[in-house]
Amino acid sequence: MKTIFSPLNRRFRLAALGLALTVGAAGCKDFLEVAPQGQLTEDQIKTDPAAAQKLVDGVYNVMYLGGFGSDIHGLQYVMLTDVASDDADKGSSPQDYGSALEVDNLTLNSTNDIVNNAWQGYFQGINRANQALDKLPLSPAPEATRNRLIGEVRFLRGYFYFNMVRLFGGVPKLDRVPLASEINDPSLQRRATAEEIYQLIIDDLQFGVDNLPLKGATETGRATKAAAQALLAKVYLYQKNYQKAYDLTSEIVQGNSGNYGLLPNYENIWREVGANSEESVFEVQTGINAACNNSAVNLYVVSQGPRSGGKGGWADLGFGFNNPSRQLADAYEPGDKRREGSIIFITTAKTGTVLWDGFRIPSQDSVENSRYSYKAYHSRTMERNCGNNDYLPKNIRIMRYGEVLLLNAEAAFQLGRTAEATTVLNRLRTRAGLPARTGLTLQQIWQERRVELALEHDRFFDLVRQESVQPGRIVPLYAAHGKTFTKGKNELFPIPQQQIDLSGGVLTQNPGY
Amino acid sequence: MPDNATLIFSSVGYTNQEVAVNGRATLDISLAPDAQALSEVVVVGYGTQQKRDLTGSVARIEAKEIVNQPVQTPTQALQGKTAGVQIISNGTPNGQPTVRIRGTGTLLAGASPLYVVDGVQTTDIRNLSNSDIETIDVLKDASAAAIYGVRGANGVIIVTTKKGKQGKPVLSYNNTVGFKQATRLVDMADAGQYVNYLQDTAPNVTLPDFTGTTNWYDQILRTATYQNHNLAVSGANENVRYYFSGNLLQDDGLAITNRFKRLTVRSNTEFILSSKVSISSQASFSRADTRDVNFGTAFQNAYRASPLITAKQDGRYGNTSAFGNVGNPLLDIEKNDNKSLENRLQGNVGLNLTPIEGLTLRSAINVDLTYNNRRVYNYQYANDEITFLEAGGNQRNDRSALFVTQINSTRYLWENTATYQRLLGDKHNLTVLVGTVTEEGQTNSLAGSRFDVPADPNQWYLGTGDPNTAVNSSPALGKDRRLSALGRINYVYDGKYLFTSNLRYDGTSKFNSDQRWGLFPSVGLGWVLTEENFLKDQQLLSFLKLRASYGRLGNDQIDPNSYITTADINIPYVFNSRPVLGAVINQIKDRNVRWEVTREYDAAIEFGLLDNRLSGEVTYYDKLTTDALIPVNIPALFGDPDNQYITNAADISNRGLEAALNWRANVGERFSYNFGVNATFNKNRIEKLNGGQALFGGANNVTRSGNGVAAGTFYVLKAVGVFQNQAEIDAYPKYTFETPKPGDLKYADANGDGTIDLRDRVNAGSYQPPMYFGINGGLTFSGVDLSFVFSGNVNNDVYNRKKQATGQVTDNIEADFADNRWTPTNPSNTDPASIRNNTPNSTYFIESGSYIRLNNLVLGYTLPTELVKKIRMSSLRIYATGQNLFTVTNYSGFTPELPGGPLDSGIEATTYPTSRTLALGLNVNF
Repeated sequence: MKTIFSPLNRRFRLAALGLALTVGAAGCKDFLEVAPQGQLTEDQIKTDPAAAQKLVDGVYNVMYLGGFGSDIHGLQYVMLTDVASDDADKGSSPQDYGSALEVDNLTLNSTNDIVNNAWQGYFQGINRANQALDKLPLSPAPEATRNRLIGEVRFLRGYFYFNMVRLFGGVPKLDRVPLASEINDPSLQRRATAEEIYQLIIDDLQFGVDNLPLKGATETGRATKAAAQALLAKVYLYQKNYQKAYDLTSEIVQGNSGNYGLLPNYENIWREVGANSEESVFEVQTGINAACNNSAVNLYVVSQGPRSGGKGGWADLGFGFNNPSRQLADAYEPGDKRREGSIIFITTAKTGTVLWDGFRIPSQDSVENSRYSYKAYHSRTMERNCGNNDYLPKNIRIMRYGEVLLLNAEAAFQLGRTAEATTVLNRLRTRAGLPARTGLTLQQIWQERRVELALEHDRFFDLVRQESVQPGRIVPLYAAHGKTFTKGKNELFPIPQQQIDLSGGVLTQNPGY
Repeated sequence: MPDNATLIFSSVGYTNQEVAVNGRATLDISLAPDAQALSEVVVVGYGTQQKRDLTGSVARIEAKEIVNQPVQTPTQALQGKTAGVQIISNGTPNGQPTVRIRGTGTLLAGASPLYVVDGVQTTDIRNLSNSDIETIDVLKDASAAAIYGVRGANGVIIVTTKKGKQGKPVLSYNNTVGFKQATRLVDMADAGQYVNYLQDTAPNVTLPDFTGTTNWYDQILRTATYQNHNLAVSGANENVRYYFSGNLLQDDGLAITNRFKRLTVRSNTEFILSSKVSISSQASFSRADTRDVNFGTAFQNAYRASPLITAKQDGRYGNTSAFGNVGNPLLDIEKNDNKSLENRLQGNVGLNLTPIEGLTLRSAINVDLTYNNRRVYNYQYANDEITFLEAGGNQRNDRSALFVTQINSTRYLWENTATYQRLLGDKHNLTVLVGTVTEEGQTNSLAGSRFDVPADPNQWYLGTGDPNTAVNSSPALGKDRRLSALGRINYVYDGKYLFTSNLRYDGTSKFNSDQRWGLFPSVGLGWVLTEENFLKDQQLLSFLKLRASYGRLGNDQIDPNSYITTADINIPYVFNSRPVLGAVINQIKDRNVRWEVTREYDAAIEFGLLDNRLSGEVTYYDKLTTDALIPVNIPALFGDPDNQYITNAADISNRGLEAALNWRANVGERFSYNFGVNATFNKNRIEKLNGGQALFGGANNVTRSGNGVAAGTFYVLKAVGVFQNQAEIDAYPKYTFETPKPGDLKYADANGDGTIDLRDRVNAGSYQPPMYFGINGGLTFSGVDLSFVFSGNVNNDVYNRKKQATGQVTDNIEADFADNRWTPTNPSNTDPASIRNNTPNSTYFIESGSYIRLNNLVLGYTLPTELVKKIRMSSLRIYATGQNLFTVTNYSGFTPELPGGPLDSGIEATTYPTSRTLALGLNVNF
């Protein structure tokens, strides 16, 4: 070195040294190791004992998806479950939300954005669950805690798949975290059969039944043993496995799975006072965060709120979607308290309609539609909220004791235990202020299901299920509702064209679309 | 004139000649053509080179071509100036124009060139004052840009700012003052046309009692002010060289409340400590003050808003949404206040040593610091009769809110270079460069928001809001590093044979350790034929050069965490009625992401004829980007919320021809003129896509970038007419989407399967022009100067998405559509009866994007020197300038210039109306 540089002056040597240092730095590998800033990496999750719990909580959060994007329990889910059925119409102003009108009339095709958004939402849920399940076994938490957490996640995954299989039939079965390299792997994209999906659901929910704690032994809002039992019972009902459905629901009805009962006032079930009540088996928990923007199902309440129309002139409550149909309003027996508890009736009388919290909706000439869902109503004055109408904290009741009784009654009836079924069913009728039934029929159980669970996002699935039990009813029911149900087609929604495109055609379309 | 005076004769393109008068009364002077015209020195990255010795493609734009244009960024002033460089301006104040050098070589957002401002590497030069720029050099091909390695794939634009020139201090003041107005607004239907339309398409809608027509564009647009003032002092002596300047620019937007102001201060100095040591520094501070408008809603709503609703009356707004229409666009603009203040410090300090003759050592620290403070306030208003003329509708904001975001980013580059230049014998000219670069960039941020902040602007601080609603976060974070070694050899033999080779070895922190390092070499050869004896004895050809080069470049412009799986945190849920925060892993990532590599061949002929009065250059290039990083759309099955992940999947080619021809001549002593044309023919093609999976992009997936087509090709149904009657519909293949009615568009059954569905979509052109061009020219005559620039695109396509993006039946329509649409009495076979929110993407919305635009016209007058000397000035020039004076196009929208990313360019959804600027200017030197 020295001999080379010796003829040169001192300054040059300094500069040469500087250059050599930089070249030296260039050889230093560590300089280029830059960890992501302010982000939780996979590796950190594996070593942090609290991280596994965080991933589980992150799965619950997916149930807030709604609005006009990916959807799990938002307006689009409401469209596919209530509006698509004979219980409700799209509502709002006639021209608003064309793709929802297609769902209402069952004229939708595979490019309908609502089906795509539901597909996206549910697969986001399934993947969040798979990611959590992937990391949970690495958690340093005790095995019992781990199993409880795995049970919660599998309960949620089972629930997501249950909605998927009812919306679309057999869908791709994804029960692990896919690798980036598998994105073009057709075996991942191929639709499993509905039976395979049901088996996954049953396995997941059974794991929940075996590992989840009873209500009270875990935080309110987490999946419990009874929640898993009730949902699994419902799945078995869809599978026509009445014995299993009966056994599971009987556990709850007999009080072996925690303290559950009927709320005395039916109309309170969906109000804030009824949140997490003795009737609640599983519900989406909502609340208020500081930003007032993300602790509730996006647009759930406001999209179904009464809408100004005609003469207008009042500050309305929402977009006016999901109007209870005339058929639903007429389905109640005289004196059924559930009718007024489920439906907001707009009147032509000058008095207007005064809601339970004193809010007055003007008469029909200032209101866009004639009927709105009372269950989706959230009082701005008497129930908590932070002023953001898009995120009003309404808990969504996914499973409640009332439905457990209905499941139990139907399973019992199908097993020939008619007396038992009648007793169980009459508990609901008593609360509704109706006389007890005698000489029970399957039709009557289904009628009870309809009015008890009206606008609780079950009717479309239920109609399709009932049709498979007792064919011939669904077409006339839709005809009475002024719509055409095409058998062999409308039992399922179309697989979104965008997803078929992205799968390179591996995903196949449902019949008729 | 004293008898012993010396006259200096000068003219563009000729060498200056000094002639002593020696008492003569008449002089015959003939100027020699300037042999250096093609030998100007250009900046090539870490050095300069004679243009005649280049083996790659470098274009130079001089200061005077930029400063006459009333534009905010120098990039806009490049439009039409040079072949191979496409500038797509958007009309937004402080908007960054899209720049594509030799086509789109990537599908990621990182398709923009690298800017190097006095050594500072950046992607944004909106902080620069045009007056401070001395030259802009564009490195177009791989052999020129290879010295920038992993940053060079999209071309490099080198900006050199001014330095003081030898002599006593020069004080100069330049200004431009003028105004901007909207050009080419789209005519919307008036009340009569609108009512007729609604009677046909939505007879159930109850019409409001309003007899006038509200022109919503009139309501939200205005004539805006443009002004630009620049004051500079410069000079140099044997010890110091300096240039100081201050600049104030106001460039307001056409939308009311849309404002932009910028202050720039610059200090460029060099201290010569001895014959061997100097210290130089270039530094600029800029402060940009912007009030933005939410164009997404304001412009889309202005297009859709019903003409039957009053915009505003006595302080109350017309209630468009209560009529089942969009939100009131005027209210939308006025009830939001979105301001940002950006301070930016950019500059360098360098130590230059010349220890022995021919050897230059330089060590420089370059820094770029940005500090941005944005404050958004949303006013509270209800859908009641305080805000609106009538209550109702869904346009409301129940709680006022303040959002404050501060982002600061730091980037430094430490460069060390050694350059050795030597003439060996008298024929071997050798230049060798070696160097290293160390770079680090980091971004930090802090964001907070609260509700219920008082409406008085003096109260717009987080502390005044409801503390229970306080939210804070750090939305933008990032850190990246690069390490590089570089080298270059230039060798010229006898002025005839040229050889250049670059080598750059780059490492980046953005990829995992297996993929991190890359080598980017280039080699170029040139042959100056006019130096050969066989061309010595002719007069026609003054210069002729052939050159060819090959090089490899990289592009690593992706998010730093693309390869690492991370969890999103702070995901809320509620247990025991208390909020808790969870975490979610939902991004699919490719651990082996690496940079994309572009290899490019470039061959050119450069020539000068008739003493270089006519000069030109024809270049062929062939660029192939392999392993292009692309967001691959993935099935929703993978649960990734954005339904895409980034991987190296595509190969993209750009092949083309650039031609430029310039004529420059003097007629007599007082008149000179020039005229130039340049044209670029580029063919962009996606050669290979991850096993054939095409990329959808744009709103409603209107583009599909598949094998064998250009990036961002429109992929839509082919509209072939309009159904005239039910019988025609009955006889036609069935639609799988909404059953057509008479008056609906008829689509071709492209795949011939007897049904019309999305499988019938066809490739229908792209925004990328097969040819774009510039025409420029100018003349000077006795102090008068005139110059103009035209630019345009030929044969590309644009998608008029705004026309399709209707939401409600009460949306307004264009006046032309109102006149031409199908009705039973007007059986059009081109325009349907109505466009509904579910009208699918089709060729009906595709229009030609061809245009020619007079970008700029300047007429100036320089007052005679003897006159201005009396008022102690050394020169005074006044001028009038006009930007975007007229456009010839068949496109029916606002502008066929529609910037966007590689997959969604050329789609007009909520484009800012283009503006015309007329201004007067003054240049004074003291």
